[in-house]
Amino acid sequence: MSVLKPFSKLPNLDTASILLVENEEQVQQGLAEALVEDSAQAVNVRLARSLPLPLENEKTRPRIDLVVFILNLTSDKSFKSANESLKYLDPGYFLGKVCFMVTNARYASGNMGRLDAVRKMAASLHCPLLFAEVQSPEGVTNAARRLLTILKVASGLVPNTSSLYLSNLTRCTKPPDIDQPSFD
Amino acid sequence: MVYVFSVDCSIRNMNDSAKRSLQRLLRRIPFRMLKTSLDKWERLTAEQRRAIDLTPTKRDLIQEILSLCEENKWTEKHIAELQMIYVAENSDQDMWHTYQLVDPDDDARSVDLIQFKEQFKSHFREVQRNVFVKIRKHTDEAVWIRIAWGEGLSPPNNLRASYVVHHLQTPYVYVSSLSSKHKPLLLQALAFSTRHRGIKDANLSGRKLTALRDLLMRQYQHVFTTKFPSPLKEQNQSPLIEKEQSGPSAKRHRMAIEAFGEGALPAIQTAVYKLETKFKDPTNETMTERDEPFRCAVKFSSTNLLESLRSCASSGIASTPLTPLLSSIPLKGRNYFVITDNAPSACSQMSQTKN
Repeated sequence: MSVLKPFSKLPNLDTASILLVENEEQVQQGLAEALVEDSAQAVNVRLARSLPLPLENEKTRPRIDLVVFILNLTSDKSFKSANESLKYLDPGYFLGKVCFMVTNARYASGNMGRLDAVRKMAASLHCPLLFAEVQSPEGVTNAARRLLTILKVASGLVPNTSSLYLSNLTRCTKPPDIDQPSFD
Repeated sequence: MVYVFSVDCSIRNMNDSAKRSLQRLLRRIPFRMLKTSLDKWERLTAEQRRAIDLTPTKRDLIQEILSLCEENKWTEKHIAELQMIYVAENSDQDMWHTYQLVDPDDDARSVDLIQFKEQFKSHFREVQRNVFVKIRKHTDEAVWIRIAWGEGLSPPNNLRASYVVHHLQTPYVYVSSLSSKHKPLLLQALAFSTRHRGIKDANLSGRKLTALRDLLMRQYQHVFTTKFPSPLKEQNQSPLIEKEQSGPSAKRHRMAIEAFGEGALPAIQTAVYKLETKFKDPTNETMTERDEPFRCAVKFSSTNLLESLRSCASSGIASTPLTPLLSSIPLKGRNYFVITDNAPSACSQMSQTKN
């Protein structure tokens, strides 16, 4: 019941909905504002710390077209919480409607194990992995623009494309050297 | 004849030593702060000040002031004034330690500045002769005391003076650059001249004097725990953005504010917890079975520790309700704790402290 499904509801006209999942709630708000501001279409943004989503919002929640997990590389909890949340997503989402966004990678250069873990997770789920610089407002706007590009396709606003194609084109293929120590 | 010569010699020596300490002091003060400090020092005429304002380099400025020093026969007293002005303006260059006055006498409330000055100076005069004490009231009603200590028979060392800041009728005293040798004497003098029977370490230290004062005097915005949550504030957020788990996050936010207050908090930089508890971890038997306590110190540091802790709590990085260990920094006004195993509850564990 609490599993989030991609096609359980009808879409709203000319609207895209995105769900940002971040355990720390640091980037979420700023990114959401940038998403709403930057888009030509109406974008509904839902913010959550983790999945499952509370049942009482079930009725007011629009159909979620794209789920973004924001992973803070400086924190272990961030990865763990995202990993736990994944099982509350319907498998249908993994056909191009989930992506991972890594933040603070610059400050976690000492801990490459975490980055490898994130890459492995994204590769095994066939999901795109984005890296974002969120310390500056320009970085947040940039990240929002990249998300909007994916969101438009995922919500069916781009003719002749579907998220299935996106899944094939953008997925993070497992790099050959992922089992070796990190490279620069 | 011999007598006259010796007096002359001592006067010249005094002038020389004043000049030397003035030179050392001027060298230590950065150029841009030097001018503002000199402006506040009321020993220069308007003309001299104008001439100083036009001096482009620090070396020329020092030479000029030194020649003025010779001309006007400034003594250590005048130079101490200048140094006090500089330290009062730049109080965050030193570490300040806080002491708390306890057991006030009946007339403690009526001590005024003149009385305090007299008592303090006379106490020093009785105990140690070669100490140079200067007391001055700063603009924010604080009493600044500068003490230059002399060793044995040597003259007071003006370069390593201790500073004491005290607001009259408050139980707290802030002290900087005090060596442990002079500590008992100074604390005794402070307790005596403010009419208190005792003085103890308040376990609070930091670089920002104003922050220490604000924390102890509770001069920041408080929020009191109420049974009913405050009415919802109007949010000017876009209707397109919605939080799914708004309930828990609002609750966390409220708890963080209850513990630390709203608005700007005093900038405390560090908090140190000294643990003298037994090691407790069910997975590590060899450590848990050891009888002696596992000694270690945990130090939190940040540019503004209280605000960091508040945002940790409200963003969910630290679990809420906050442990009394963290929330007692603002509550008890201290940032050094020794934690021992003796007491059963966490709250009372913190009461044992070492001085």
